[in-house]
Amino acid sequence: MLPIYICEDEEKIRDAERVWLEKQILIEGLDMEIALCTESPKELLEHLSGEIRQGIYFLDVELKGSSMDGFRLGQEIRRRDARGFLIYVTAFQDLAFETFRYHLEALDYICKKDPEKMYGGLSRCLRVIAERVSREQGEQQEYFTVRTLDVMRHIPLKEILYFATAGRTHRIELHARQERLDFIGSIQELEEKLAPQFIRIHRSYLVRADQIDRVNLKTREVVLKNGEQCPFSRNMRQRLLNCVNGSGLPFGQ
Amino acid sequence: MSFLQIVSANSLSMAISALFLLWMSGILLGRIPNRGRKHTITCILSGLLWAVLLAVLAAVCYRTGFWRLPYGIGRIIWQYFVLVCMALLLGLVYRVSLRDCGLSVMMIELLGSYGDLLSELYLYGRLFDLRVPAELREYLFWMLGIRPGCLLLCGLVIKKSGVGRIYRQWLGQEKIHRGILLLLGLYPVYGEALDHVINDPGKNRAYFLLPLMMLLVIHMIFVYVGRDWQQKQYILAQETSLRQQAIYIENMEQIQAEIRRFRHDFRNMTAGMYLQAREGDLDAVRSFIQEMTEDFDRQAGDQIRLMNQLANVHMTELKGLLLEKLARMQKEAIHCELEVLHPFEGTRIRSTDLCRCLGILIDNAADEVRGKKDARIHLMISSQDGCTTFRVKNPLYGEVDFQNLGRAGYTTKGEGHGIGLESYRKILGRYGFVFPFTAVQDGCFVQELKIQEV
Repeated sequence: MLPIYICEDEEKIRDAERVWLEKQILIEGLDMEIALCTESPKELLEHLSGEIRQGIYFLDVELKGSSMDGFRLGQEIRRRDARGFLIYVTAFQDLAFETFRYHLEALDYICKKDPEKMYGGLSRCLRVIAERVSREQGEQQEYFTVRTLDVMRHIPLKEILYFATAGRTHRIELHARQERLDFIGSIQELEEKLAPQFIRIHRSYLVRADQIDRVNLKTREVVLKNGEQCPFSRNMRQRLLNCVNGSGLPFGQ
Repeated sequence: MSFLQIVSANSLSMAISALFLLWMSGILLGRIPNRGRKHTITCILSGLLWAVLLAVLAAVCYRTGFWRLPYGIGRIIWQYFVLVCMALLLGLVYRVSLRDCGLSVMMIELLGSYGDLLSELYLYGRLFDLRVPAELREYLFWMLGIRPGCLLLCGLVIKKSGVGRIYRQWLGQEKIHRGILLLLGLYPVYGEALDHVINDPGKNRAYFLLPLMMLLVIHMIFVYVGRDWQQKQYILAQETSLRQQAIYIENMEQIQAEIRRFRHDFRNMTAGMYLQAREGDLDAVRSFIQEMTEDFDRQAGDQIRLMNQLANVHMTELKGLLLEKLARMQKEAIHCELEVLHPFEGTRIRSTDLCRCLGILIDNAADEVRGKKDARIHLMISSQDGCTTFRVKNPLYGEVDFQNLGRAGYTTKGEGHGIGLESYRKILGRYGFVFPFTAVQDGCFVQELKIQEV
């Protein structure tokens, strides 16, 4: 059961949110419950100090009487519940939501100025979360998680084509179908972590085995399914051949 | 003295030099290296290895008489060799470009020699016979007490006088004046020559003249650079301020026009609402209030919001760039949303490089959405937790060829284009602390620049 937490400084709004959410849970038969409804961010964080389950958090942006604003509270919650759903309920229509979404992976924001819109937003969020949770339970997708300074990125492993060392020390370039990013790491460690799905074909290249389309022995290059080419080194040749022989890939001359 | 004794004494001296180098580089580059435990251990071990290796080499040079080569050639070559080693050490510790490392070590050498020369006032041309215990003690007192004391004094003066800030501004210039480069680069040569002329053993030893001359050289460099830089910054700030004022006035006029129009509509609408209220139709009154606030937000709110976000950008050059791009996008009917949640003061990469990179990203985004229905771009600037993120997002109407993205000449815009992303990559290649990110997410093309600030 997913716990729902509400942190809102205005009592009327807080009660309205709670009543509406309870009603929606009953009507839709959702596997959720209101775990806490408070005006104090401190109380919410104390509540999260024990064993944490993935939760749903409806948070106000400006919390009067508290040294913490919604953004800081979101950061603290993220430290405790990395997979939780954060929804901001605000009176400001000009909330810097992309920044919230970027740093806190916030799901949505709801404008509380108009009660009808607020109720609509609450219902929409519950629906989206229920769908997402059931999808996540069904899928067995593996992710590659990497930290780039202040953000964690989760890239589906099957989307990654290859890793390459960049010109600088410990700098790795990740090439995915729809993403390209740099991060600090070691290709050696990646090789150990991601074998046998990825094979080291060169001192600087770690390629996803099932993305290799063909091997050109003449130019000593591996051609990937999207057309990209990666060089392979002499001493990796046999290992690469063993690998592709098993999968029946063609060789170029 | 045995070889081992010479190496030991040299190691102490080199360790003091290494500490001075790290302290000074921290002051000049304005930061401390902070890359985790592994990096710290690597740096400490490399620093120790650096000191010991140089100490051994110095002992070899001393024993073989390399330093006694005519016209001080041996000492000059040695100084250049030490400078290269220092630059490599700085490169390892700070992961900054070789150019910055090279310039920094030359500057530190110049500043350090000032401290060294000051400490040599104590010696006043004396040569110690280290086989005599009393003289050895006195030499060690000079090496471990007087010299570090003078270097410390020199460092404190540099720290308190704010030379580091001026130095960083100077280092931030794209092209550095050749004369200054020559003055710094040839320092070991003319330093040695001056030493010969002034400190000729046959003449009156005027040791104090050399430190004073060094002080004069440093002063000249910084006064020249500082004034030149200040003038350029002043002109730039004036230009940006004028542009900003012009765009601000334009925006204010637009807001005023929108409010005038809204006032006209508002009168008509309130007349309707009055009738609805008199009839007791509360639903209609409520929907009227809602429509009215939405109308206002749509008509004038966007402009006010944009100006509010822009007010958080405190870096003049970037503000100027954003104002220009926003004004152009407005003319091209491209809706641009800007988010700057926390005040943005500045970043570690050169302002010119930052503006060029962001300019390329914004132009690319604008090119993609130009002429499309509901054309919009989203810009985000976020500074927090010791890093700054610039993010440009636009809806994608075609396919992105990730295979060729960033390669020389790749373009989707036809002939004559395609240099933007290539030069973007090239600029970023100069900085080890910048992490680019490119992705297609939910039908949008996202370009991101993440800069490590500490």
